[in-house]
Parts: sequence; structure tokens; C-alpha cells
Amino acid sequence: MSQRPVTCTKTDCTAPSCAPDCAPSAPATGLVQLRRGGGTSRRSILQAAAGGVAAAVAAPACNTPEFEAYFQKHYKKLTDEEKVKVFARLEEKTRQKTGVRVRIGDPPPIEGVHFAYALNLSHCNGNRRCAEACARENNLPDEPEMRYIRVLELDNGSQHLERGTVYYDREKVPAPGKFYLPVQCHQCDNAPCVKACPTGATWKENDGIVVVDYDWCIGCRYCQAACPYHARRFNWVEPKIEPSRINPHQAYLSNRIRQMGVVEKCTFCLQRTRRGMYPACYEVCPTGARKFGDLSDPESEVRQIVENKRVWILKEDLGTEPRFFYFYG
Amino acid sequence: MRHLPSIDWRHGAVALAVGWLATSCTWEPRRGEPVDEKERVVTIEPRIPLLATYPCSSCHATRTPQPERHPLKEVHAVRTFDFSHGDDTFWCYQCHSIRNLDQLVTSTGALVGFDEAWKLCTSCHGDKLDDWKRGMHGLIVGEWNGPRTKLSCPSCHNPHHPRYPTIEPEKMPETIKPLTPFGAK
Repeated sequence: MSQRPVTCTKTDCTAPSCAPDCAPSAPATGLVQLRRGGGTSRRSILQAAAGGVAAAVAAPACNTPEFEAYFQKHYKKLTDEEKVKVFARLEEKTRQKTGVRVRIGDPPPIEGVHFAYALNLSHCNGNRRCAEACARENNLPDEPEMRYIRVLELDNGSQHLERGTVYYDREKVPAPGKFYLPVQCHQCDNAPCVKACPTGATWKENDGIVVVDYDWCIGCRYCQAACPYHARRFNWVEPKIEPSRINPHQAYLSNRIRQMGVVEKCTFCLQRTRRGMYPACYEVCPTGARKFGDLSDPESEVRQIVENKRVWILKEDLGTEPRFFYFYG
Repeated sequence: MRHLPSIDWRHGAVALAVGWLATSCTWEPRRGEPVDEKERVVTIEPRIPLLATYPCSSCHATRTPQPERHPLKEVHAVRTFDFSHGDDTFWCYQCHSIRNLDQLVTSTGALVGFDEAWKLCTSCHGDKLDDWKRGMHGLIVGEWNGPRTKLSCPSCHNPHHPRYPTIEPEKMPETIKPLTPFGAK
């Protein structure tokens, strides 16, 4: 929180656009005190707004990024002009926080495309290149360290997930007598996480990708508890990331820099895939185990796999209808 | 209105069979030559630019190839220890043409270039050919809805010891590991 840029503190405001409107004589109500203290949360700002009408009247005149962030509308209700402003504000915020100039885009779902993933367990050798590439592409923080993709090491001839481990540490893979089962967000058609979210901060897009609006998430972690694949991650502390490792090609709904107290997850690299590219985990996989494509295209690899191979899905009995298929072959 | 010739089901069956034959036999992208496959351009990665000692005839103009199994020397020395394809039944000229060393020879005796090595591999491993053609086996680089390149068999499998090697995995970040072992047997 200490790194958050405070541009208007009423008493020492130096921003030229802000100064005329923010007279020092403005009543020091709850909103002002909150900004002075630096303790900023949606709950406290609403309390402050309820406490002093004067603050609510005086605040719009300030027109600060802080104010715009608090009263930003839900992503789906933003107009194109508002989106441009929001993205510009977030780019500026990232620049002040990390010193890196990033570009936040908003690629829309491609009409008629339904993304799906297929993973060949005969080929996967558990090298975790996918998890690392994902972390770099999606700006996963160095602290707290997290990975969207977890690779389970299981005994040959069994699928006892609870007896597998994701913490294997080996000189060389694959280890004899083991096979590897990478698990990431399955982009379920009947997603339990979307149903669990009380605020509508996570939803399923038309191309099948389940996304999170980090500015709308309140951090209740209900979705994390609802997900049977352990696919969601929570930012327990303010995420720190080495500026040199930041990927500047960002999208609002995927790999932009997150803040503390929000949930994040794999989005099939929508900043890449909606522009025609393959996801980062696909591109880096040296074994060719990963297959990605459009399920509605009869010629695509995933469609061919789903039609011709014996595919299976993880925890089918839960009825989540994932877009993530496993097969051997 | 003119009288149209009547079409019975046999015409349709013949047309379907011809169509099927046409589509199943014409899938043959050449080296560096893009083939438009349902609006998507698929090329097969050329192999010759990646070969350090090609053409073979540059050395074998003065060195006569020996068809019998023997300890290898010079640039081939490593192969004596490194060769693990087809047990003890295979030797160089199972796949390399002894008459034209710049060509490969399939199991049926047909000569193919090094860029078409996939034809040689799949002349034995036919089960993988269909998977590879459909994109279910092998690596494809490029764009999922745009131009793309299919990697040929030798890009991943060393033809002289084709099993994919064991590799060093990326480490799991230390801070993710729990203090007490989780998932321990």
C-alpha cells in the first residue's frame, strides 16, 4: 500500500489539474482523512461516503485516479471511452509502481471461436517448462510466488490424485515408474467458481475463457474454495515483481499487474490467443504434449483429438464440463 | 427447362470415393512450399539447413561406404555408442541410401530427401503418420488460426536414438512448498 501513488491529499496537492478544485478549506471529512492515512479499501471509502455527504460532493471535483478507481463501473458496463480512460489510468499506475511502461489492451473474444486444450499424458514428462513460461508471460509475482500450472507426479498405472505430489524435485524427468499430470484452469462450461462469486467479478466469456476483473474482486476467495481443480490463486500480500521481468503486453482481463487481495487464474493467455497466437505454455512445451485450438473448427488439432482419441476429463463426476481434455497417444 | 440426367446413388458413391481418394492422397506439402489447407498455411520445417555435415557426398566422394556393421570413425564415431534404433538389426544403410548418400531410403526402397525424412520414418511407424498429419502428434509452431509450421520427426526424435531424452525439470519455487510434506505416500 505504501507504493500506491497518492496524487491528491487535499493539504499538499501539487497536481496542476487538481489544485484549483481542491481548496485547502474543504471540510476534512472521512474521505479526506482516509486519503491522509493511506488506508484505502472499498469498504472504508463507502463508510466515509455514508458519513459525510460533503465529501461525496467535493470528491468528484478532484477527479483523481484514486477516486476513479473507487467508483469504476463493472467491466461489462464500461463503454469504449471509459475503457480507454481506465486502461490509461492502470498503465500510469503500473508505471508509477514499477517504472515500466506497459500497454494494456482489451482483445475481445473472436466470434464463433471456442477455445479448448488437449494434453497428451503419454508425452508429458513433467519438466515444468509450461509453469515457468506461464509465470513470465502472465506477470506472476516473485513474491508471493505462485504458479497457475501444477504438475502432479503420479505412479504409473494409477490415478490416485491424493497420492501424487506437485513438489517433486528431481535431477532428470521423467522418473522411472511415474507419469505426470499438469493441472491448470479447465475453463469449465459449468464453472463452479463463477456460480460461487458473490460480486460477479468472474464470468465466462463467449469464447469459453473464464476471466476475473481484478478491480471488482473483493477477495472473499469463495471461487477458490469452489474450484475442484485448485486452479485459482490469491494474492495474500502486495505482489512484487522484478521490473525487468514484467511483460509489457498486457490485457485488462488477464496478465496486467494485480494488487493485493484479489484472485487470479489461468486465462489460456487470452492476451495472446485472442490475437491468434498460441498460449505460452503451449509454445514452450518441448515434448509436444500440449495441443490448443478452436473446438468449433473441424480441422483444428483439439477437435481432431476429441473426435479421434479417447479423451477424458478430470473429475468428470462433478459435472463441471471442462474445456481441458487429457488423452494418451 | 432442359432435361437433367438422372443421378442414382452409385454416382454419388463413386464421387465420394474419388473425393476421399483425392483428399487422402494429395496431402503432401513440400519443403518450404506453403500449402493452403482450408485457409491455413501449413509448412513442414526443412531439415537440411539444420544438418552440420550435409551433403554426405562431400566426404564420401573419397571415402567408400562400408555396408557391414563396423566400429565407426571420424564424425560418425559417436554413433557406435549412441546408436539405439531397431536393436541390433539396423545399420546405416537401413535408412541411408548406399547408392546416393545424399538421399534416404524408405522401407520400400524409395529414395526421399532429408527434408522429407518424415516419409522415411512413417514408412515403418505408420501409426504415427495419421496422428501427425492431423496435428495430434508432434509440434506445431506459428498461430492457431494462421500460418504455421509443422516440425518434422527428426526435429524432436534423434533418428539414431529416437526415444525422447530425460531432461532437467524447472524447480518448484521454494516458497510454494509446504513446511510439512503434502501428498507424501
